[in-house]
Amino acid sequence: MNPAPALLAALALATALATGGRLLAWQTERAQDAGSVFDLLLGESRRAFAVHAFLKADAYYHSGFYPSVFDLAQQADNSKTHLQESIKSAGAEHHDHDHDAKPAKARDWLEAFGSHFFPSQHRHLEKFGDEREILPWLRLAAELDPHRIETYTVAAFWLRDRLNKVNDAEQFLREGLRANPQSYEILYELGRLYAENNRDVPRARAVLELAVERWLKQEAPKADPDKLGYGQILAQLADLEERAGNLDRALAHFARLKQVSPAPETVQKRIDELLARQGRPR
Amino acid sequence: METLTIDNLRVEYRSRAVGEPVKTAVKGLNLRVAQGEVFGFLGPNGAGKTSTMNVLLGFVPPTSGTARLFGVDVREPIARQRIGYLPEQTYYYKFLTAEELLRFYAEIFQIPKAERSQRIDAVLKLVELDHARTRQIKTYSKGMQQRAGLAQSLINNPDLLILDEPTSGLDPIGRMKVREIIQRLKSEGKTVFFSSHELGEVETVCDRIAILHQGELKTEGRVSDLLREHGTNLEQIFLKIIGHPPPP
Amino acid sequence: MNTIWALAKIVVLEMVRRKDFYVLFILTVLLTGTAGSVNLFNDNSIVRYLKEICLLLIWAASLVIAITCTARQIPAEREQRTIFPLLAKPVTRAQFLLGKFLGCWVATGMALLVFYVFFGIVSASREQHWPVLNYLQAGLLHWLMLAIVIALTLLGSIVFAAPSSNGTICFVCTAGILLLGRHLNKVALGLTEPLQSLLYGVYFAIPHLELFDVRDLITHNWDLIPWGMMVLATLYAAAYTAFFLTAAWLIFRRRPLN
Repeated sequence: MNPAPALLAALALATALATGGRLLAWQTERAQDAGSVFDLLLGESRRAFAVHAFLKADAYYHSGFYPSVFDLAQQADNSKTHLQESIKSAGAEHHDHDHDAKPAKARDWLEAFGSHFFPSQHRHLEKFGDEREILPWLRLAAELDPHRIETYTVAAFWLRDRLNKVNDAEQFLREGLRANPQSYEILYELGRLYAENNRDVPRARAVLELAVERWLKQEAPKADPDKLGYGQILAQLADLEERAGNLDRALAHFARLKQVSPAPETVQKRIDELLARQGRPR
Repeated sequence: METLTIDNLRVEYRSRAVGEPVKTAVKGLNLRVAQGEVFGFLGPNGAGKTSTMNVLLGFVPPTSGTARLFGVDVREPIARQRIGYLPEQTYYYKFLTAEELLRFYAEIFQIPKAERSQRIDAVLKLVELDHARTRQIKTYSKGMQQRAGLAQSLINNPDLLILDEPTSGLDPIGRMKVREIIQRLKSEGKTVFFSSHELGEVETVCDRIAILHQGELKTEGRVSDLLREHGTNLEQIFLKIIGHPPPP
Repeated sequence: MNTIWALAKIVVLEMVRRKDFYVLFILTVLLTGTAGSVNLFNDNSIVRYLKEICLLLIWAASLVIAITCTARQIPAEREQRTIFPLLAKPVTRAQFLLGKFLGCWVATGMALLVFYVFFGIVSASREQHWPVLNYLQAGLLHWLMLAIVIALTLLGSIVFAAPSSNGTICFVCTAGILLLGRHLNKVALGLTEPLQSLLYGVYFAIPHLELFDVRDLITHNWDLIPWGMMVLATLYAAAYTAFFLTAAWLIFRRRPLN
């Protein structure tokens, strides 16, 4: 019997198995790196879908009312969604941002007629707890693009602030932190959660100080650093220390905040108040 | 009274392709078919038989000339109220059962509801499909499908039956059955107008025939007269008329 | 009318006996069920995303049913030659077209009814309320939109011989109008003449199918649409449907069948 065909077949099988195993390992490695099945299915386009999912959450916040890309093109400032504005203005009512509750004037009869068939009035989720409706889209946005920081901070804000789901908010932020370990924004949001919801001063302090450290490392060298984000962290830290009775530390944070704040006089007022409480000269 | 009248009928087909010549399928055809006649419409492939039938059935508008059924222009749908049509092959909604198919056509003919079931039963019995009436047509054999076709052509008890190659592809029993039905319709005083290549069959059942060749009517007359005049069978007459050399 | 109705019944029967609808319905149920089973921050009362997904699937399925069912009607009649014994009966070409239109419309209407009942069950299972009138308005508008799409596809099936090309063209046109129709006027504003007038002309000429898409109103529990507007929408749909059917008849009435 000629052994050549059997040897050839064995060689082919061995090559196939070796190649297959290598490919499988490579694929697994890639999948782990991306961390999501969406990466395999959509590739880089998943980021665009993530943006869409995020905008969808904003549209849900407005009960389906949302300007189209064509409307947005005619508006001057469209860089931030209302959801983002909400957490930036946390503590204040969301309704204070600038928009008109009345429908825009129709350009023609078709537009006027059509306005009866889709949400054409600016409206926010009003009933308590309705904010939960935006969460699926934020979850999807995070799945599609785990490196989109706003998704975690916005979702965490709504979870802890409006839906009283502090544990879920913390878990989601930690997920975000695993995907984005250098993010000072997520650390800031986590610090707020510990400070405002859990009243866990040592953890809040640790996390917020880490946020400051990250900010200094990433943003300080930049020509146009995110001063607002830095200011928010410092303000949070100062408030935390003030509440904890560490007025010296609070004063130190306020002093740094004054340097980056767009309203240094307001910060100075707070510094003066603290100094007065300490009985020290201004 | 004449059931079918064709006067100076001309049928032309214009091609959509630029530069393609107009094809003339029928050239000035004149034909009369009287009530109660069995009329054979003969001709080789491409002679214009199908084009003439298409005009009679309203599928193709005549280029010029007129065609009338029971005195009504064939372009009027009402002209087809009293006719039955059996195409060469069975073209029916195969997802329907024979009974559903007949009920559908009965509705089209606006047969009164009270009569419908009775009529369907009678026709199915006539074509011997009574036992398979609730089976979908797609499960039928070719012969059964042809019989279902025959049944639909009879559902309105037509005064004129137009049959296009009615025995094509049928086994001998099927052919015999079709012949029987034609004879029976004739005995009821109905008119049958049919095209066929089965000249022996035409000779058996037809009263009169017309032979068409290259769009022109070559001969028309009673079968018995033609046979006597030429002193041979219909096949030989046919070959002679279309100018085909007779077989050795 | 009897003839038209008889023809319509055959189309409905065909759809009932084909598997298209069942496959699409099962797919909708499965996908909605999968979306509903996702754990979202341990909150089972989140419903709007589920309503949106379910309605999106219903819309997609209804368009597939309407366009594929209609696109194959006349080409299949010609290809299988069933049109010959049919038109050899006292049936006018107009009756034939109307019968096909009515059949496809009624068939998709029946499918819509099943889909919307399923949607109602999904929605009620989480929201604990059932705004029947809102669903009725949404279903009705959806059905009216499908009338326009079916008439357009029927016209297409006379112009284009292959059902696949007709189906694709109709899908592209329908999706294009649904996505962009509403914004053409805004796009036109940014153009120079004569393109501006041209695009404005297109904007006013096309049937605005997106008017009938009230999914956002249903998803976000908006109020009922004024009934007067519903009447106007019905007239709008009827006008376009009649236009497409008339155009189809004008082309088909003298077309030789051979």
